[in-house]
Amino acid sequence: MKVDQVLNVLKAALGEGLAHTEVRVRRVGAKAPVELKEIWAEIDRDAIVPAVAALKALGPLHMSVISGQDAGERIELLYHIAVGYGTEGGEVMVTLRLAVPKDDARVPSICHLIPGAETTEREKIEFLGVEFVGIPDSRHVFLPDDLPVHPWRKDEPEMERFLRRMVEWEGKDG
Amino acid sequence: MAEAENTFRIPIGPIHPALKEPIRLSFQVEGERIVGVEIRTGFAHRGIEYMGMRRNLIQVLYLAERICGICSISHPIALTQAVEQAAGIEVPPRAQYIRVIISELERIHSHLLWAGVAAHELGFDTLLHLTWKVREKVLDILEELTGNRINYAIPIYGGVRRDIAPDQHPKVQDTIRYYRGLLDELLDTFLRDPSVEARTRGVGVLEPEEADALCAVGPTARASGLAKDVRQDRPYLAYGELGVKAITPRDWGLEPRGDVYDKIVVRLLEVGQSLDLIERALLEMPDGEITSFPKIPALLAHLKKAHGEGLGWHEAPRGEVIHYVRLEAGVEEPVVWKVKAPTYSNLMSWEPMFEGQEIADIPIIAASIDPCICCMDRVHMVRDGSEATMHKEELLRLSREKTRRITDHGSRITGLGGVR
Repeated sequence: MKVDQVLNVLKAALGEGLAHTEVRVRRVGAKAPVELKEIWAEIDRDAIVPAVAALKALGPLHMSVISGQDAGERIELLYHIAVGYGTEGGEVMVTLRLAVPKDDARVPSICHLIPGAETTEREKIEFLGVEFVGIPDSRHVFLPDDLPVHPWRKDEPEMERFLRRMVEWEGKDG
Repeated sequence: MAEAENTFRIPIGPIHPALKEPIRLSFQVEGERIVGVEIRTGFAHRGIEYMGMRRNLIQVLYLAERICGICSISHPIALTQAVEQAAGIEVPPRAQYIRVIISELERIHSHLLWAGVAAHELGFDTLLHLTWKVREKVLDILEELTGNRINYAIPIYGGVRRDIAPDQHPKVQDTIRYYRGLLDELLDTFLRDPSVEARTRGVGVLEPEEADALCAVGPTARASGLAKDVRQDRPYLAYGELGVKAITPRDWGLEPRGDVYDKIVVRLLEVGQSLDLIERALLEMPDGEITSFPKIPALLAHLKKAHGEGLGWHEAPRGEVIHYVRLEAGVEEPVVWKVKAPTYSNLMSWEPMFEGQEIADIPIIAASIDPCICCMDRVHMVRDGSEATMHKEELLRLSREKTRRITDHGSRITGLGGVR
């Protein structure tokens, strides 16, 4: 799998939905370092499904994880997806970044394309309060079902106090 | 369906026999057959990512090391690589080799630990004691090299904290020789034992299509025949130069079936692969610096100025570990820190593995993905979940009874296939 190949497929599939792409180079190896390229792309919220579908058509797909952040007015999600496992140095890491406004924090689920993405989507529901439209199971994974707060959101002062109380035993969080 | 009449629900956990860690598995059974399973995690959630985002990066490194006791170098390796990418830090060649050597030693001890647990779940305690006895040797060499049996505190941003001295080389080579001599015996004991075969062949099958769709990682995916290994697919550190090939049951001359037996095959063969890697790394390790930041204050100052984001990955004994970090200039703590442990990816693979199996096979199937709950949960809060109705002793007794039942009738064992 080549980086250019992946980029072209993404461009063809998304068109306007692909806001920005960047190829980052990582020097890997000790004696004779080689350059390993990664793709970091910014996409529209609705482009996530066609993007994943295009990557899936390209080769064996591995959904590593979705990471995310409360970025003030918006919630940012980063899909770390690796495409093309099975050959030496043949896998390309693609990070798809998208943002949703807090008052409409909804993203289409990609579980129908990658069933294995369910755990990480469910985790984002409980930690960031994002809604995944079409996810087969939206229950909590790690936190109690009745937990009133989303731990990674920064806009609820009550939550900060609540979480501080929970880690109080440590005695260093004052 | 008539399931309302014939289906019963058996909740197991949050304390479970095969795991030694808290998780709740709620099984729907018809007679002895499992028809469905519901998995509830989170009993070991400690909020480590949350804590990490409120501490400076050196403190985060300590936290990462303590996400899991068994893969206590895997998380720091992924974290340091993520931070090194974010902050533009180079790692000296020698440090890369040292990281590889310690992680491969960790893989050996983790796989041997698992083999012992698997033997125990099947009721072969003699094998458990043998496996764990020989595991001591690798813990000894880890202690010799790092000062600790676990929590090695070796990787730091920009390098490693301890060098491997010339007088330590023979000790490592001794260890390699010791395991080389032993590996055939272990392979023989596990893979050519008719009782082990009878209890693990065709049990807890994960089809390759399922493993691919559910994004399974590590030996769980490889036992199903997927050549999926981060060291091979996305080389990092010195792995590209050392040349790693994903091990599947084909390396043992068998067509992969994705059952528990194949998972034993893959893990044991990987012990041999790690021995080769350590031997080569030790031989080819270049001289030179072991860190690009010998002074911690200088490192902290550099990290505080750093602005960027990075991804770091590592093939832990159980599969892919990945960390995402974002740093902002002028802020000591990472703005975002996301940790993904292998069990997190393998969690969903349990469902197809359990379906259609017998209650007595629950412990060995649960153990077969080598689950690491503390890694996955990274968090806390035990309040619900007091409905454990099937005690671990009971389940273990069932599992062992099945082995006895099988071994008492020798005739049933032959002809199950697998060993040629």
